[in-house]
Amino acid sequence: MTRRQLLGLMAGAALCPMGCKSVWLPGKELRIATWGGAGDDDEYARLQKRLYREFESAHPGLKLRVEAAPDSQEHVRKVLLDYIAGAMPDIVNLDASSAAVFIDNGTLMDLTPFIDRDPAFRLDDYYPNVVDVARRGKSLFAIPTDFTPMVVYLNRKLFREAGVPVPTGQWSFEKFQEIAKALTRPGVYGFEFANWMPGWVMFLWNNGSDVLAPDGSRATGFFDSPKSVEAVQYLADLVNKYRVAPSLSQSAATGVDFFATARAAMKVSGHWYIVALKAAKDIDMDDIAVVELPTNLEHSVTVMYEAGQAIGKGCKHPEEAWEWLKFWASYGVQKRYNASGIAVCGRKDVEEEKLRASRGTDLERAFQSIVPSARPPWGSRVEGYDRVEDVGQKAMDAVLKNNVPVHVAVSKAAHDIDAEFSKR
Amino acid sequence: MRKDRTGYLFIAPALAHLAVFAAVPILYALWVSLFDWKILKGTMPFVGLGKYGEVLQDPSFWNAMGNSLKFTLLSVPSGMAVALLIAVLVAQQLRGMGLFRTLYYVPSVSSMVAVSMLWIYVYLPDNGLINVTTKLFGFKSVDFLNDPWWAMSALAFMSVWTGLGPRMIIYVAGLLGVPPVLYEAAELDGARPWAKFRHVTWPMLAPTNLFVLVTSTIAAFQLFTPVYMMTRGGPLDTTDVVGYHIYVEAWSKFHVSTASAQSFLLLIVTAAVAMAQYRLMKSQLEGYSAS
Repeated sequence: MTRRQLLGLMAGAALCPMGCKSVWLPGKELRIATWGGAGDDDEYARLQKRLYREFESAHPGLKLRVEAAPDSQEHVRKVLLDYIAGAMPDIVNLDASSAAVFIDNGTLMDLTPFIDRDPAFRLDDYYPNVVDVARRGKSLFAIPTDFTPMVVYLNRKLFREAGVPVPTGQWSFEKFQEIAKALTRPGVYGFEFANWMPGWVMFLWNNGSDVLAPDGSRATGFFDSPKSVEAVQYLADLVNKYRVAPSLSQSAATGVDFFATARAAMKVSGHWYIVALKAAKDIDMDDIAVVELPTNLEHSVTVMYEAGQAIGKGCKHPEEAWEWLKFWASYGVQKRYNASGIAVCGRKDVEEEKLRASRGTDLERAFQSIVPSARPPWGSRVEGYDRVEDVGQKAMDAVLKNNVPVHVAVSKAAHDIDAEFSKR
Repeated sequence: MRKDRTGYLFIAPALAHLAVFAAVPILYALWVSLFDWKILKGTMPFVGLGKYGEVLQDPSFWNAMGNSLKFTLLSVPSGMAVALLIAVLVAQQLRGMGLFRTLYYVPSVSSMVAVSMLWIYVYLPDNGLINVTTKLFGFKSVDFLNDPWWAMSALAFMSVWTGLGPRMIIYVAGLLGVPPVLYEAAELDGARPWAKFRHVTWPMLAPTNLFVLVTSTIAAFQLFTPVYMMTRGGPLDTTDVVGYHIYVEAWSKFHVSTASAQSFLLLIVTAAVAMAQYRLMKSQLEGYSAS
């Protein structure tokens, strides 16, 4: 033990009986498992690093070790392997899309006891439907940081140039297709299809179907239902039949984001896309609007992708980990963190302040209006939903790339998903 | 007796290494394959050979086996042919040949992750090296790694390059082991270069060919890193080779017992293929003598 550590220990021993909570034993380390940003040097990554350092400065003797996987899928694998190996990280960045596998396998600590005995923390500060993503009965396994509904981004400039009125309220699949056709002209597509199941599964919902049964137990009878076939066919036709969206090979060949380069007028994405759009030289943010997804139902429905912070089971320093969770979810940190535009803040006060400061037509206001129609992703409730997405995406690829009939592709996918589920 | 003991002492470190890092894990995997181990839930009921039956009926496993076979057929013969051609060239007793041998060997000592990243750029649809070159001749751009028809061929083509070094070195050793007297006799009989290669070099390389064929086939069935880095088994499972399939089963789906059973089936298939290759080439080996 170094002299400095010994002094810290003595000071801690002297101050702790006086109720001082800000003194930490020396040499403690919190491992934080997250994804992305490991080697980035953009403003967002720099802010994250600054916030880590601020926490360390406020808690002498406590070090943060950030373990960032390249993407959320790798993050899930890595943390689960850590858990199996008995080396669970102290803090886990919990993505709603994969929350079930962590929560239902008992890899996380219940945060309710921490919340109950900490008067400084108010769960009411957070949006209740966002909090509920990581809730099981009375237990809560994560404090939300941010979230986003999936929306349709519009480039109003391209609408003006095509003489097409910008949609404002509810719109049907048919109307969406009609507008996409009207916007398509040489060099510009009406729509850019994001060939990524988390970005298109909501079209099934908005056609009155789903990928899984309501209890999440099976896909047959749902993913292969006539309504699902109709929704997948609808999307495939936008790309392959009506050609109002770039083909997959075209997207791959050019490697560009058609919407961000003003070569597509509409695209489905989340709040995080604003960061990319702000950096896009062909985009004037005043021309960007967001609207709800088209629907064939009475009301449009979308998905809410969310991230929160959880404490790993077996955490050696649970009190310090709880301090970190509070710090990260605090008003001060979230206000700064959220200014990047990455997502909608999980805290009501930050979002309300943002709305008060914004104008009536602001993007944030539009996002807020869509939030009530957002439901948590299947992955927050169904363990192994990542495999459903793998299989579902293969079905869409088979349709788009190999012209496999939709009913054949989704029927095979539904049976494959059921076979996967039977192994759980 | 004492001499024997000294011999065993010499091989003891290698045996210990083999036991700890090969035999024990293999036996452990065999044991795991007899249970239905839910590794996240911590349950492990005994199922006997149930997992093997399950795997044998799993079309995705056979798709992966088929893909591995396809990769083997695409990459091994072409890889051997290219390696032999290069070996014949670099086996010439000319100045500077050492440099060429080193250059051809470099890909083999490079990290496969780095090499895979490099080849992703080579295969890029718009500005990759191959597409830029073929476009000069008026060909349409191909998205090699995302096209179900091209993806496996792209991996096989890359493996010809990455596997060149070790194959070439073995062939060079084989070529240098051919007694010069045989070439002299052939020349006296009026043999031209192609006839010398066909009637002297090729038969004398039979053991080398067998060794390269068997080791290349085993390596091809174990393909993993390029698939993980470049295609993730896609598009449409066309590059989901058995090595990658087992990895996904074990560490993405956490079906470790299924993955263990698949590993043993892979072992059986690989051993059977190697045995078949040995039997097919046995006749060529008969009567072979390098002395």
